[in-house]
Amino acid sequence: MTSVRSPVAGLRNVSREDMLVHGHGACPGCGYAVTARNIAKVLGPQTVVYVPASCLTVFSATYPKSAWRIPFLYTAFENTGAIITGLKAAYRRRGIEANVVGMAGDGGSFDIGLQALSGAAERNEDVIYVCLDNEAYMNTGIQRSSATPFGAWTTTTPAGLEIQGNRRFKKDLAAIVAQHDVPYVATLSVAHFTDFVKKVEKAKSMSGFRFLHCLTPCIPGWRIEPSRGVSIDRLAVETGMWTLYEVEHGVPRVTYRPRKMLPVTEYLGLQGRFKHISEEDVRTLQSWLCRKWKAHYGEEVEEPPCVIARKDEGLGHDGDPLHGL
Amino acid sequence: MAAQALADAAVRAGHHAQAFPYFGAERRGAPVQAFARIDSRKIRVKSQVYEPDLVVVLDASLFELEPVTEGLKEGGRLAVNTPLRPEELEIGEGTEAVTATADATAIALQTLKVPIVNTAMLGVLCRVQDLVPIETVMEAVQERFGEKLGAIAGRANASSAWKAYDGAVVGVASGKRRIARAKEWRPAWHEMPAGTSLPSATIDGVEVGPGSARTNLTGEWRWSTPFYKKDRCIRCLRCWWSCPDAAIDRLDDDYMRWNFDYCKGCGICADICPVSAIDMIKGVHRW
Repeated sequence: MTSVRSPVAGLRNVSREDMLVHGHGACPGCGYAVTARNIAKVLGPQTVVYVPASCLTVFSATYPKSAWRIPFLYTAFENTGAIITGLKAAYRRRGIEANVVGMAGDGGSFDIGLQALSGAAERNEDVIYVCLDNEAYMNTGIQRSSATPFGAWTTTTPAGLEIQGNRRFKKDLAAIVAQHDVPYVATLSVAHFTDFVKKVEKAKSMSGFRFLHCLTPCIPGWRIEPSRGVSIDRLAVETGMWTLYEVEHGVPRVTYRPRKMLPVTEYLGLQGRFKHISEEDVRTLQSWLCRKWKAHYGEEVEEPPCVIARKDEGLGHDGDPLHGL
Repeated sequence: MAAQALADAAVRAGHHAQAFPYFGAERRGAPVQAFARIDSRKIRVKSQVYEPDLVVVLDASLFELEPVTEGLKEGGRLAVNTPLRPEELEIGEGTEAVTATADATAIALQTLKVPIVNTAMLGVLCRVQDLVPIETVMEAVQERFGEKLGAIAGRANASSAWKAYDGAVVGVASGKRRIARAKEWRPAWHEMPAGTSLPSATIDGVEVGPGSARTNLTGEWRWSTPFYKKDRCIRCLRCWWSCPDAAIDRLDDDYMRWNFDYCKGCGICADICPVSAIDMIKGVHRW
């Protein structure tokens, strides 16, 4: 972690040119927009983007307008891996050098697009696959996906009397892709700037199948303040809910390690989707995190004390998926 | 939910009513529609409403994008969220309607502390219709929102409706300028040859193709504005990197400049700034 006062070294040489320009219709504070914009910015103008059904399609490129200054393609939900394979083949045939990028959400990568992703990874296609993971199907109204963390509220895993929130733990997609023995797999967080730029630049410089997995906060889906859209990613890393590493040609390397594990409640407390969570569920989640921490960083960690901070009964507008109607 | 509350109020007032939303992308700031149909007899129509008697516009910037008053019946009424008076509004060529306006965003910020204007607009609506009295609407709002979001929220929303009813201005709004419906000029999918892509171009005064989203001035969404204290800035570039809307320009000397045509006022820049060089000031400003 860079010290608070020093300028962020990794950002100095990033281009001022944006490939995803202003005027798109994402929610204020959208983590998706920050990530997509910065990945496109680092990859530069020689890039072509494919996006399956996701918020990114809806807010950045609804025909005939487009917020992308680079070619953009959209077809169906499940075939990101297949489409970017075809795009790259077409560019190769025409002798054009271009970074072919597929930016799919967690629904389009974890669940619906998994077979096409696995196929493209197994064939080691020369493309970059970006999974922008906001941990549910946010575009269609916050339905659970296999990326949704334990205990989280979604419209299909409501906080009821018997069962409160999602009962399954998050699937480890980066590990699945890494098992395909691809050249490069990395996890990203928008709050870790230098790390983010380095990884995207490394992916850009390599060839073969490159997989970037980024945690992208969703303002309405996570029930968070719009201003916390980036800093919440830092808390995710500090609590172990998200880990930063890369796997280069089969060799894993931790790129950032928090000094001390923060209690998971620090992360949960900021998000309305965990408002209902019971002490028992927090304990379950915390011990799962400690096991994950040990497996990942190779060291035992003492369970930090968790305190659930309950907010007062506010206006609670954010508890309703139909707000505004 | 406001449409439901209105239908609920209509039923309380002895009418038959329906309420339903239009299915679309559920994203903040995306244009959405909801309908309510009220009659003294049993309603057998189940379709979307195409020729409304009354249109409620929650965001006046929609007049620039969509012909929202299209289909409005002769003698139809309008309720609009805007600080402008009805006479100052431009509602699209050939339309003239008795209109109630109120700055519902300001009222909602005052009563609810969030810019959610639906219940305030129910209050404004009550000024241009006589089917459902404001008291019944407040009752319905309090019960419906209270049940879902807690009693405090129910009361706050009801008072939001009352304040808007109280503060609304009624007049006649008219339109001179034609608002083109996007579908009128853009080719349908079967009219486009396979393998073509849309180039950067201007068709009928509308920019299309790569980068054309620039014409959407999303700064209108803002309800709090970042204030930049240049003397405190250490040029760490964090805000520039973290802006979802690319609304922060990085100048040649690495100081920043905000582009208020696009800034949505999310406050990420102020949150991420390590030296508190950015303050979020309530309200829509440009400096």
